[in-house]
Amino acid sequence: MNIVEVKGLVKKYPSFTLQDVSFGLESGKITGFIGRNGAGKSTTIKAMLNLIHADAGEISYFGQTFLGHEAAVKQRIGYSTGVVSWYPRKPIRKIVDVTKAFYKSWDEEAYRRYLTLFGLNENKKPCELSEGMKVKFNLLLALSHKAEVLILDEPTSGLDPFSRDELLTLFGTLKEHGVTIMFSTHITSDIEKCADQILYLSHGILKADCSKEDFISMYGKPGESMEEIFLRLEREVQA
Amino acid sequence: MRALLRKEMRLSALALTYLFIAFAFMTLIPGYPILCGAFFMTLGLFQSFQNAREANDIVYSALLPVAKKDVVKGKYLFTLFIEMAGFTVMAILTLVRMTALADAPVYRQNALMNANLFFLGMVLVLFGLFNALFVGRFFKTAYKLGKNYVIYIILAFLVIAMAEAVHYIPGFEDVNAFGFAHAGLQIALLLSGVICFVALTFVSFKKACRAFENVDL
Repeated sequence: MNIVEVKGLVKKYPSFTLQDVSFGLESGKITGFIGRNGAGKSTTIKAMLNLIHADAGEISYFGQTFLGHEAAVKQRIGYSTGVVSWYPRKPIRKIVDVTKAFYKSWDEEAYRRYLTLFGLNENKKPCELSEGMKVKFNLLLALSHKAEVLILDEPTSGLDPFSRDELLTLFGTLKEHGVTIMFSTHITSDIEKCADQILYLSHGILKADCSKEDFISMYGKPGESMEEIFLRLEREVQA
Repeated sequence: MRALLRKEMRLSALALTYLFIAFAFMTLIPGYPILCGAFFMTLGLFQSFQNAREANDIVYSALLPVAKKDVVKGKYLFTLFIEMAGFTVMAILTLVRMTALADAPVYRQNALMNANLFFLGMVLVLFGLFNALFVGRFFKTAYKLGKNYVIYIILAFLVIAMAEAVHYIPGFEDVNAFGFAHAGLQIALLLSGVICFVALTFVSFKKACRAFENVDL
């Protein structure tokens, strides 16, 4: 069953168009959203969260359209972006204290657990965090309100290999608890390690929406790794 | 709504904005264009908007479990809170000038605007203009601040100059009444200011909500 549905999403910019993107996210699955820089991954994700105004298309979560049920849907989803930092000069403690008042299902115990797991200090300010720690802080906020769907824009960017591995393992644990995860990345090994489904976007067009196994059998050649498949497909588009 | 206002106050606002409410005390300065106090308060609000923009506050707010238009509501709520705090202080000081200090020579010899109900009405007009020209227009882009504030400054000082000068026009002397003189006219002028404030704020809020829906963050 699809817990998230994206239908006919179109966003036109002067030099780029996201063209009629449609896909669904299966409940309790991890979906890797892959594509090179500028392919339209962040545009798609931002449109899914109404951060940008789509020219056409419909987004629905849990069987209800996002527009019109925005506040209720956002209670049940979590979003994290790569390295953007919010309120860089405010202590984390203060940001969290304000943020948790918005969530009906804020889980203080989970918050404390992830705070320890990520090695974050509440007294630090975002401007004092490394890029990787900023990603972890964003994830901490997304994970602490029992989100049923996590939409993560390049969550592994800027993380060291050890932290990346920890995070991907965490994705697996969350999946076991029924959480649906969609994460964009251009690091193919992340997809190989934990994704069930693959969305492959190239130049604003969704080229593939299938399981990881199907993607490899449809697009791969014998002995090719995920990275080699991805590179070859991109070169074919360029040629 | 409470959580939104709390977010504005604790994360977006600068201490300067609260401090600038003290410009309301300019109401007591004799021989000074006291409407400038209202203008200086908006300068404090401008600083908070600038701070919010640099802190990625708008995107952060849009990601919270609220509708996109509630981000606009949060900024309006905070702006109204500061404006009403300043207005309350100004209203109290105006009442002091209209009663206990009504016959004080420094105010009687004042060539400029008196602190009376017309003054309070004009304070509300200035705040209404700020809400419409600055706060409302900010949400067309959610990042452009400067031009909107410059437009407001120009218009605000035209309004201040007009309000300061109007009582020198023959037939308009009663606008600058002392104490409770010409109470009917003064109340009517205050009510006109209230209507201007409410209309400018409400219409600009509705327009800002619509504009912000189309903004790409």
